Amino acid sequence: MIEVQQLTKRYGPFTAVDGVSFNVAKGEILGFLGPNGAGKTTTMRILTGYMPPTEGRARVAGFDLQDSPIEAKRRIGYLPETPPLYPDMTVRDYLLFVARIKGVPPGDQAGRVQTVMERTHVADMGRRHCGKLSKGYRQRVGLAQAIIHNPDVLVLDEPTAGLDPKQIIETRQLIRSLAGDHTIVLSTHILPEVSQTCQRVVIINKGRVVAEDTPDNLTARLQGAASVYVQVDAQGGDAQAVLAGIPGVTTVAVAEQQGPLTGYEVQSEAGRDIRRSVASALVGAGFGLVELRPMRMSLEEIFLQLTTSDVPEEVARA
Amino acid sequence: MRNTLAIARRELHAYFSSPIAYIMVGLFALLFGWMFYSFLSFFSEQSLRMSQFGMAGPQALNVNEMLIRPLLLQAGIIILIFVPTLTMRTFAEEKRSGTIELLLTSPLTDWEIVLGKFLGAVGLYAVMLLLSSLNLVWLFVYGDPELAPVVTGFVGLLLLGAGFIAIGLFLSNLTRNQIVAGLLTYAALLMLLLVSWVGESAGPVGKAIVSALSVFQHFEDFSKGVVDTQHVIYYLSVITFGLFLTARSVDADRWRG
Repeated sequence: MIEVQQLTKRYGPFTAVDGVSFNVAKGEILGFLGPNGAGKTTTMRILTGYMPPTEGRARVAGFDLQDSPIEAKRRIGYLPETPPLYPDMTVRDYLLFVARIKGVPPGDQAGRVQTVMERTHVADMGRRHCGKLSKGYRQRVGLAQAIIHNPDVLVLDEPTAGLDPKQIIETRQLIRSLAGDHTIVLSTHILPEVSQTCQRVVIINKGRVVAEDTPDNLTARLQGAASVYVQVDAQGGDAQAVLAGIPGVTTVAVAEQQGPLTGYEVQSEAGRDIRRSVASALVGAGFGLVELRPMRMSLEEIFLQLTTSDVPEEVARA
Repeated sequence: MRNTLAIARRELHAYFSSPIAYIMVGLFALLFGWMFYSFLSFFSEQSLRMSQFGMAGPQALNVNEMLIRPLLLQAGIIILIFVPTLTMRTFAEEKRSGTIELLLTSPLTDWEIVLGKFLGAVGLYAVMLLLSSLNLVWLFVYGDPELAPVVTGFVGLLLLGAGFIAIGLFLSNLTRNQIVAGLLTYAALLMLLLVSWVGESAGPVGKAIVSALSVFQHFEDFSKGVVDTQHVIYYLSVITFGLFLTARSVDADRWRG
């Protein structure tokens, strides 16, 4: 549904987006993840035809954005970072205006406006002026205008930014409910958002794609070897030697020391579950096993690792 | 066309849902009415004096020559003050609030956007003229002026204002600050006015060139009841040129990002 090839955008000497390529299949929700200033908004603006790329191509629903911008734009709904509302218009008038300029046939306009207002839960705000809406409602009206012409593709730039936790949950549910009919690209710098709403993630940093996969695969792949955290009351014995002697264990490192308790980070060969043997070995050696848990790298840690090149790996993992 | 009208409608909506439209229409009607009154009292004083000298008769003083024409000429200068206030928000405000992003990502051509905004502003301006023209109805009720110069005079005013609006649209797209856009437009329109004054003392060739270019020079004939294609073409060129620059600068902004 969306094909992006080698997209590059330069502002003078500054390169905002540098050779970004990705594809999005029909009905998929793609998360566009990256720190502020990574080039997310620029990429989305190119994707919606707001600005042309310096190099590269973007196709939406089979239409090239540079060769046939009007046809492509007919099939895109876009919610920019700040919802593009006219403060002097009522919600209903505003949505009617958007329906007109997005090419909704005159006979369907009123019906579409009613449908999207119900879908985004703003039906009771129809007569309210856009300038007098709360942040949460502004965002919902922004979403309503994006889907008013029932576009194939939805591009949402930080759809939950600035909302309160309840509104964030509602907005995510709304986005998920839209996924069946629409292909969605959403950007965010909030990590849980990606694992909760998206089927696939593109992580972008300094204008470049640094990773692309499903949230689960990304977690698994970057984890590499499995590791286990064990806390032992060694009672003067050498727990490290015992741990190192377990078959399948590759490295054992002291993670922390709390009085008589010592915490170890035990790494094993990939795909091998060593938890049972660790437990029986320690208990067998007469040590007190206080804690045993698998260490999983959260998406947050992966993200940090991928996007902060100057931070040593150990720190990023801690 | 439908897209253009949708934009024009929204522009008018924006004018009339804020005090701008009412202040503009009201203030222009007030100024026009006041000018009308002062010309009228001067005119009736003159005719009274004429009749005292025994030169009475309806055509002793021509209402069109003595009243309507100078009134419309002055109105032409007054609209120079009004147009920048009309056009300064058109693009600058959309850029500041980010709504320009909605327009530029909708299936609209640049020309549709620019023409829509132009028609919206011209629409409000036409309302201003229409309301003020009601003053002249009194002349037809109590006197017998020629109709043609009045109509052509207003057509001229409409073309003159539309030319100003086209220039104002372009300048509004150069900035995201309404005040800056307004001041730029004032400066540009005042230059056009000053140019025609400079022309008076610029020698025969200079004068010919300047008066060919001056926006106000071309307006004079309209107020005499003459619709010369040369002048119509002049104003249409000013409008087209202004709108062309606007459309180009909308496109250029895309590349600048």
